[in-house]
Amino acid sequence: MRAFNLIPAEQRSGGASLGAGRSQGAAYAVLGVLGVLAVFALLYGVAHHQVSSRQAQVSSLTVQVQQAQARAAQLAPYTSFAALREQRTKAVSDLVDSRFDWAHAVHELGRVLPKGTSISSLTGTIGATATGSASPAPAAPAASGAASTAAAVTSATPPGSVPAFTLSGCATSQSEVALTLNRLRLIDGVSEVTLQSSTKGGSSGGSGAGGCSSQDPVFTVQVAFAPLPAAAALTSLRQTASAKSSATVPSATPAGGSR
Amino acid sequence: MTGRDRIVLIVFALLAVLAAVWLLAVSPERKLATKLATQVSAAQAQLMTAESAVASARGAQARYTAEYASVVSLGKAVPPSQEVSSLIYQLDQASNQKQVEFNSITSGSAGGAGASPASAATAAAPGAALAGFTQMPFTFVFNGSFLDLYHLFQQLNHYTLRTASGGLEVSGRLLTIQSLKLAPGTSAEQGAGKAGGKSAEGLTGTITATAYVLPTSQGLTGGATPASPGGAASPAAAGSGASGSPTTPAIVRANP
Repeated sequence: MRAFNLIPAEQRSGGASLGAGRSQGAAYAVLGVLGVLAVFALLYGVAHHQVSSRQAQVSSLTVQVQQAQARAAQLAPYTSFAALREQRTKAVSDLVDSRFDWAHAVHELGRVLPKGTSISSLTGTIGATATGSASPAPAAPAASGAASTAAAVTSATPPGSVPAFTLSGCATSQSEVALTLNRLRLIDGVSEVTLQSSTKGGSSGGSGAGGCSSQDPVFTVQVAFAPLPAAAALTSLRQTASAKSSATVPSATPAGGSR
Repeated sequence: MTGRDRIVLIVFALLAVLAAVWLLAVSPERKLATKLATQVSAAQAQLMTAESAVASARGAQARYTAEYASVVSLGKAVPPSQEVSSLIYQLDQASNQKQVEFNSITSGSAGGAGASPASAATAAAPGAALAGFTQMPFTFVFNGSFLDLYHLFQQLNHYTLRTASGGLEVSGRLLTIQSLKLAPGTSAEQGAGKAGGKSAEGLTGTITATAYVLPTSQGLTGGATPASPGGAASPAAAGSGASGSPTTPAIVRANP
């Protein structure tokens, strides 16, 4: 008797074709492809929406930027004028800050000078820019030298210049000259006091210059002050001082100068 | 062609279609969206900058009156021209107030404090231009007592000085004293002026000082008028913030 297979021919290939059906799995593939296409369509839609909204946003922002820039350009002269005022105020402030307060120095001199000393002449100069330690020897006035032209600031007394006094006078004795030297060191802002000479006069009597007798010692002294500070340093000092005493009114004349 | 081959071909064809859809449609759109996001960010930053500039300009516009007054006041300290006559008037007034005789004024400073007015006259010509302001060196000679000369020096500094708040107070020409010399006055000098009555203490004070002048290219206000800066639109036309009252305190105060 001949064996007869009762299983339909399309289902005879076993487990490998499980669920493939007559289309051999092509239906699943089509479904998968459709699903992927749907995802793609979704992504495309989202991106397209973003593109549209962002394009509108860019257009709107561009218009706003142009309007703002036009307004700013319209008001530009005000901004320029404000810059001019700021620049000029700073320039004048720097000049004011760079000055040496001669009045204060002269006042201090009168305050510390002992009674037995007379001054016959006083010469004050703003010397050349200090290099290292302050030199007591005053140089030529800054405005006539190269220092002023080389300086970044327009001041005739640039930062770093060393103010100095040269005093000539007489004292009742040599010890009075020594006392004078000590007292001169008490002047506000003095960095160095140097005696150039102290010479006692001849034995002949009579009255000498400046109320001294001819026998009194005649001296020449140089008094060097601390170099003029830079404007930036003064500004930071002023800011620090104003921060510390915001409630109180600080002195307009700091020690050593009106800067 | 077997059934398997057909299936493989169909799968490859579908994959190719999917890749084409991705590459030709989805991916470019997504890239465009990303690019536009960058453009939006850039435009927003640009807008913020522009709005900040507008706010700053409106602030400047609101402060214009005060700032104009400040600049004009600064012109008292550093005028646009030499203004020697006003300087002489100022010195004469100060010396009268301080009981000092204003003896001479000489243009130039190369002679320094020790130089006589005659020698100083041959000094460097005024107007040595540096960066910014132009310098005008002078040599002044005053006769008076030590105390009066001290008061005069003080007054010369006080024409332009710093206030406690860090601002500037301008009441006259800005002068930088470079050198000074105090020496006993000659009998002729003491006999002539107010110091003559107190010859025992009469001194001659020789001061070398520098005044300053604005660069000729700038002018006092750079073409601005009290109503509006040069070339600017009128405040009414410039925007809604134009009519604000000045809120910034004037840094410079002019004392008549």
